[in-house]
Amino acid sequence: MGAIEAPFPSSAWFVELVSLATADPAELEHLGIADLRFGVDVLQANGTDQFFGLVLDGFDIHVVGPTAEESFGPDVVVSGPVEAWLDMVAWIEENGPADSAHSLNGLTIAGVPLLARSDDAMGSDKFYRFMGTIQAVFDAAGAPAPTAVTA
Amino acid sequence: MTLGLDLGYLERSARGEFDLGWLRDTGAEWGVRAEPSKNGLTLRDIAIGSYGEIPEHAPLRTMAPRGSDVEFGVPDMGYTINDRSEVWADNVLDLYEEAVSRQWSATRDIPWADLVPLDPDVEHAMCQLATVLSEVEMVAADFPAKWLWRINHDFVEAKMFLCTQVMDEARHTEVFRKRALANGGGLGRATAVVERFLQLILDAESYDEGSALMHLLGEGIVLSLFRAGAALAPSPVEQKIFRLCMQDEARHVAYGTMHLRYRLAADPSVAEDFHTYLDQGEEIIAMIFATPEIVEPTAILAAGGLAQACELGTAAGDVLRHQIIGDYLKRCAHAGLDRRGRLHLPDALIDGVPGARVEEAV
Repeated sequence: MGAIEAPFPSSAWFVELVSLATADPAELEHLGIADLRFGVDVLQANGTDQFFGLVLDGFDIHVVGPTAEESFGPDVVVSGPVEAWLDMVAWIEENGPADSAHSLNGLTIAGVPLLARSDDAMGSDKFYRFMGTIQAVFDAAGAPAPTAVTA
Repeated sequence: MTLGLDLGYLERSARGEFDLGWLRDTGAEWGVRAEPSKNGLTLRDIAIGSYGEIPEHAPLRTMAPRGSDVEFGVPDMGYTINDRSEVWADNVLDLYEEAVSRQWSATRDIPWADLVPLDPDVEHAMCQLATVLSEVEMVAADFPAKWLWRINHDFVEAKMFLCTQVMDEARHTEVFRKRALANGGGLGRATAVVERFLQLILDAESYDEGSALMHLLGEGIVLSLFRAGAALAPSPVEQKIFRLCMQDEARHVAYGTMHLRYRLAADPSVAEDFHTYLDQGEEIIAMIFATPEIVEPTAILAAGGLAQACELGTAAGDVLRHQIIGDYLKRCAHAGLDRRGRLHLPDALIDGVPGARVEEAV
């Protein structure tokens, strides 16, 4: 079980995720600066969707949403059914940093179960350029839950 | 101009009779003060005033820093690339900063100690792929290096970015050579068809030609291979290798795409030249798609073993091929070069690729 208590998907979940991912600034700085507007589109069984944005700006990461994709203006959007997102998050919470099959790259490469889409080639290439950083953010979901201190 | 030692100056300056022309008679923008932005003092931060003005045609062919006062009589360095559009891209300043910030070490940042014994066929496949990648990556250092000294110093930011590419490619050659030797497999086979493509890049008669073949076509393909490698990696070691290489490669491709866009915007009449370069390159790429030393290791890694690969055939490879061609067409379209209906690839390779035919949207 990971450290994030808020349910996925929710703004609180992403805020907690980013808080964990940025807890050790040296780790993010080691990955280098990033410049990416990353969209997370979670498709619900009833046909609705929830859209969240992560803005990677230098060494800073901001959460936007829930919001509309058009107003966020993403470079790239990873979209897919909520079950696929929950499976990915659960695997990371259980095992730590995603392996190949449970990484954003692995889950999107064939277009299923998640799809990476962008309006133009520069958007998809940005996804590739900053893959290590965006994956590190999601891998933070595997941070261990804080343990209670006993006397 | 004959350079001569001014012995008189040595005597005058010893007495404190300085010339001070450099101090008094300057055209530089005294008082300019570049302010660091949130990530430090970037190239974009110092692209201010006249220092940020990049000429469409370099007026001199010297190594004098752009914006400096240039003494009469400086030697001509013989640069052959003196037009901005021949090498520039609108994202090159940011790509340089990104490249410097995102450097990594093939020695330190890969968890080599975590390599695990693999099925011998899978290990062999990984080593063959590592051999090909170690082979092809160095041309992406050789090509910029071959042209760097011909590029006018007024376009120094582009030269600096190409220097980062040289370093990136050295590291890629290093990391795949290390992977081939680190887990009991060793190097595999180098093929003539791959070498022919590398030769085409290296022997390009212009930077235009070589950049189109390398940044756009060749590195685009390798980028997709890296992406697939990260997705198919048998252990976290290979996953990290391919992911880190993918990030670097995508920078180079982003430069190539935006450079072509800049070039075509400046002179649309060169579009047909680029089509011709890519016609030639694609003909060799078609052969690479039918090269066992590339197709088969990829199929084995995708399937997880030789027997599984023989059952699946090239199904996974087909996904990769579709992605390679689809991404390539999107990049060409973004640059302003429509390759739909112009691809020099046989129908068997483009069937089923969205946007590959002229009647389809890219």
